[in-house]
Amino acid sequence: MKLSVFGYELVIPTDIIAAWVSVILIGIVAGYIIIKKRKLGVVWDYMKTTNHRKIGILYLLFGIIYFFRAGVDALLIRTQLAVPNNDFWVFQGEKYNELFTTHGTLMIFFVAMPLLLGLMNIAVPLQIGAKDLAFPFLNSLGFWLFFAGSLFFNIAFFLNLTPEVGWTGYAPLSRAEFTPGAGTEFYVFGLQISGLGTIFTALNLIVTIIRHRAPGMSYTRMPLFAWASLITSFLILIAFTVLAIALYLLMFDRLFGTGFFSGDEGDPVFWQHLFWIFGHPEVYILALPAFGIFSDIISTFSKKRIFGYGTMVASIVLIGFLGFMVWVHHMFTVGLGPVVNTFFAITTMAIAIPTGIKVFNWLFTMRGGVIHFTTPMLFALGFIPSFVIGGVTGVMLSLSAADFQFHDTHFVVAHFHYVIIASTILGVFAGLYYWYPKITGYMLDEKLGKWHFWTFLIGYHITFFPMHITGLEGMPRRVYTYSEADGIFILNAISTVGAFLMGISMLFVIWNVYKTHKKKKKVSGDPWDGRTLEWTVSSPAPEHTFEPMPVIHSMDAYWYAKVKNKPLPATTNVRVKPLERDSIQPFCIAMSLFIVSTGLTFRWYWLAILGGVMLFALLILRSITDEREDFYGKSDDHA
Amino acid sequence: MERVMIMRKQEAELFQDKKVGFFIYLGVEAVMFAVLFATYMIFTPAGSGPYPSDVFQAEMVLLSSLFLLSSSVTLYVAEKGIQARKGKKTLLSLGLTLGLAIVFLGLESYEFYTFVQEGYGLSTSVFLSSFYVLVGLHAAHVTFGIGWMIVLFIHYVRPNVSYSLYKEKQTIFSYYWHFVDCIWVFIILIVYLPYLV
Amino acid sequence: MKKVFLLSLVLLLTGCNITVLDPKSETASEQAFLITFSFWIMMIVVVTVFILFARFVWKYRYTNSRKHILPKDVKGNIKLEITWIIIPVLLLIILAVPTLAITYDQSPEWTKESEDAGIEIDVTGKQFNWLFRHRNGKEEMDKLVIPEGESIILNLRSEDVIHSFWVPELGGKVDVMPGKELTYEIKHPQRGTYQGKCAEYCGLGHTDMTFQVEVVSTQAYAQYLHQ
Ligand code: HEA
Ligand code: HEA
Ligand code: CUA
Ligand SMILES: [Cu+2]
Repeated sequence: MKLSVFGYELVIPTDIIAAWVSVILIGIVAGYIIIKKRKLGVVWDYMKTTNHRKIGILYLLFGIIYFFRAGVDALLIRTQLAVPNNDFWVFQGEKYNELFTTHGTLMIFFVAMPLLLGLMNIAVPLQIGAKDLAFPFLNSLGFWLFFAGSLFFNIAFFLNLTPEVGWTGYAPLSRAEFTPGAGTEFYVFGLQISGLGTIFTALNLIVTIIRHRAPGMSYTRMPLFAWASLITSFLILIAFTVLAIALYLLMFDRLFGTGFFSGDEGDPVFWQHLFWIFGHPEVYILALPAFGIFSDIISTFSKKRIFGYGTMVASIVLIGFLGFMVWVHHMFTVGLGPVVNTFFAITTMAIAIPTGIKVFNWLFTMRGGVIHFTTPMLFALGFIPSFVIGGVTGVMLSLSAADFQFHDTHFVVAHFHYVIIASTILGVFAGLYYWYPKITGYMLDEKLGKWHFWTFLIGYHITFFPMHITGLEGMPRRVYTYSEADGIFILNAISTVGAFLMGISMLFVIWNVYKTHKKKKKVSGDPWDGRTLEWTVSSPAPEHTFEPMPVIHSMDAYWYAKVKNKPLPATTNVRVKPLERDSIQPFCIAMSLFIVSTGLTFRWYWLAILGGVMLFALLILRSITDEREDFYGKSDDHA
Repeated sequence: MERVMIMRKQEAELFQDKKVGFFIYLGVEAVMFAVLFATYMIFTPAGSGPYPSDVFQAEMVLLSSLFLLSSSVTLYVAEKGIQARKGKKTLLSLGLTLGLAIVFLGLESYEFYTFVQEGYGLSTSVFLSSFYVLVGLHAAHVTFGIGWMIVLFIHYVRPNVSYSLYKEKQTIFSYYWHFVDCIWVFIILIVYLPYLV
Repeated sequence: MKKVFLLSLVLLLTGCNITVLDPKSETASEQAFLITFSFWIMMIVVVTVFILFARFVWKYRYTNSRKHILPKDVKGNIKLEITWIIIPVLLLIILAVPTLAITYDQSPEWTKESEDAGIEIDVTGKQFNWLFRHRNGKEEMDKLVIPEGESIILNLRSEDVIHSFWVPELGGKVDVMPGKELTYEIKHPQRGTYQGKCAEYCGLGHTDMTFQVEVVSTQAYAQYLHQ
């Protein structure tokens, strides 16, 4: 669309206009509802909160919002690919490249990560008997950094400055010579800020799990979701730090003319190494917490203790460890030579073994149990076969010579959607249905939940199964069209149909949430007849939990207490709970980084400096308004 | 009396949380610097541009190291001071640490300045780029530490900060500072030394 | 799910219709062999898991008659757990052997002098074209003519960003890097005309960065060189 403003010719693509219009409309509706229902106080409350459950809700909320946004991108991708030589709307060439970049980046960083971190935030403290995360202020800061980063990344689209370098941002394409616009800066800073938040949250979870377990909750009695969260957090610390440095170097390349990743003096492959040293562990960061959720759910709804607890824990650790030794399997065609290729082919194949242990242990947990087909359990059941399909295509990819054919085709697209959706997305859905009572006090409707499950699962297989074949037919990734002669029309059309079925399935979720909150039917603290500590507190989990604190004598202690019909032993002699005080400072700190990034992106250095000054002022302010000051030294005189 | 004991115990618990958290954070920092050291090793010496030994000056490195490394000693004295509740000793040695850090930063800025004057800028070659991003990030840490020390002084005089809280704050800071010093040792060993001897 | 799988089975059995599984050179044949071979081994895994899954879910489902059963706790079973460590290890070893052999043979490398004699061709990728340069200096854009039955040694290099050279029928991908030359060998191509494409996302024109490959007889190639 062409506009003429003060004599300037402005060309605004219609998709941007559509985005503005829809966001403004949604904003007006949301604003109206908030003001009409006098909920401004609630918004303010959540902006200041440091409570783990509320922060978890924020993570989940934004994760889901971005899932819809990235999902709409996916539907646009699929519409453009539905028929050969398609000319759908504006999504050819540049716009298509922006589309898959946004879709991939959002899904990985701003959908999967916050959804998992949200569930960890809510469930882990409750599962291990902690009264909150160890550092409530830092927890809030972690969320708002994630939020600021995601906001920054998303704004790019509204300014028609969407990055178009793929979620992998390969150099030298991502260097300023080849992508001169400000688009790639949004990728760099968006990930940088939100990554920082993720690191803080991981650190927080580790300290919580190491230091805040209930008395008697030894490492051998900890629920598997808590175990998975612990290992995942360690992976995050290393992987996201490497990513942070990679982005730091890329920022220097783009803004200050260094040549780390240039083709002449630097080394583009160095970016790939750094990116995949982050990127591969990242995929296990996405998978492991989901494995943890499934372990708890399968055990709960088979009414049986998890089979082979010890090997389950060992395999989580092993997967995490091996995850750092396989990154080159994304780079088989780069030319690192036969020795490197075979070495990494073998380490990659080795990961199948600990994963296999988990799969069989899940199966044998169900054996001999009484399986209740609740919605969370259905998602767990859908996960097992789907994930195995995705996993074995992963093993096929790891055969380096075969990967010469697979690499960068839709076969790879099929592989990773299979594993990611089976583990992360189904896992998050399972976790949401499972813990929804603990989060809100209401139970989601089971019937609609089952509709959601079946339409989603069927849509998912219809979408991604044909991609294995289109890949083998020679369809590369990241192309916006193909010709009739390629013979892949029917398969692509099927994929598109499946994608829309997945879209429809998500409407059931919206309906379900709406219906549940309309009905307002409160549930008890233990609606699923659960096994772990989160079910001992009331629903929704109150701000002050575990008073008195349970004492743990075995795994699944709550379950065995129920079986024996005895209450859990408890004590009031417990360690001090983490100090907390509501504060708007985390939000402000995150926003100051947003300002710094805006300044750097548009080379408005004064703004960047202003943001920096703001940041340091806020840090000092934080230091002198520390909630510890009111707690410490009540027994002591002044220094 | 019992109340005091409980309080002490609770403070110790909270402090232990913070300590564990901070050590993990230092682990993150270590990974960060490790990647930058790797970057430096990969790109140095660069195919084109100046050779490192033409750029570096041994005296400069020696001098600034002297200041930074001795600041770890003075900080150690400050730690002893705070443990013994000797206010003067603490303040004096902390002040000394601050002074040494500022001199170090000055020397390093001067070093960078002379490099740039000689035409060895950030984007002259990949070797210099990786030098600047690594040593520059370290300098940023020193700067941050200087700010932190100033804030510590402020806390020292604020009535709201109890002795035990102040002690915690200074202890955490000293972990940070020793870590930054430790990184400097690696910088000497990896960045400078191979090209100066 | 089962149905989809059966469908795929049928499709893979009639695999000769699928481009990559219908190779037209020795290089691509080895790769296709590896793909089909691994597919069948993976089928063993998938079928095992599916059978166990279906059986357990069906047999141990909640029914009214099982309402009051309290399942016996099973902590684990070392023998079983060792079984599902050993069997996958064996399967992976079976897979690893041909993988290593073929990978050793085929991996592209940074400029190495190839031991085999063959037809050398310089390939230059740039946004968004391919330039092929034959030994006698003849150049052509976006069209590669090579003789059948010979060893084709490609020296690839990029002028700007990373691209990737791919002709599905003739062999897997090789990345085309700026600043570094890679060598890749295609062994014994068969006569025919094939589509080549750029398989590494390289910017605006990535989709259209295609080229034609014509594998012709040796005489025709000689003729082509002197046209
Ligand atoms: C949740 C995310 C997730 C998970 C869990 C995995 C798991 C695995 N992945 Fe995947 N992968 C991705 C996400 C994930 N991946 C993404 C996002 C990409 C693409 C990135 C991009 O380029 O954009 C990718 C790409 C990718 C490639 C690169 C392809 C290419 O670009 O050329 C390879 C190659 O080796 C690979 C391999 C594997 C393997 C071997 C596993 C294994 O961990 C799987 C192990 C599981 C099983 C094998 C099933 C269960 C096991 C048994 C039942 C036991 C018996 C089994 C055997 C004996 C085989 N993956
Ligand atoms: C967590 C990770 C994740 C998830 C969940 C998904 C989900 C989906 N992806 Fe994703 N995808 C990636 C991660 C993910 N993807 C990555 C990393 C890439 C690589 C990017 C790159 O190359 O750089 C990729 C690339 C990619 C491609 C390849 C593009 C290309 O290379 O050319 C395709 C093509 O079909 C695709 C499709 C889909 C579809 C159909 C879904 C579906 O599952 C989506 C389902 C969701 C919805 C459909 C939204 C739901 C709701 C509605 C629409 C409701 C209606 C709206 C209102 C009522 C307002 N994805
Ligand atoms: Cu060249 Cu893609
Ligand atoms: Cu990987």
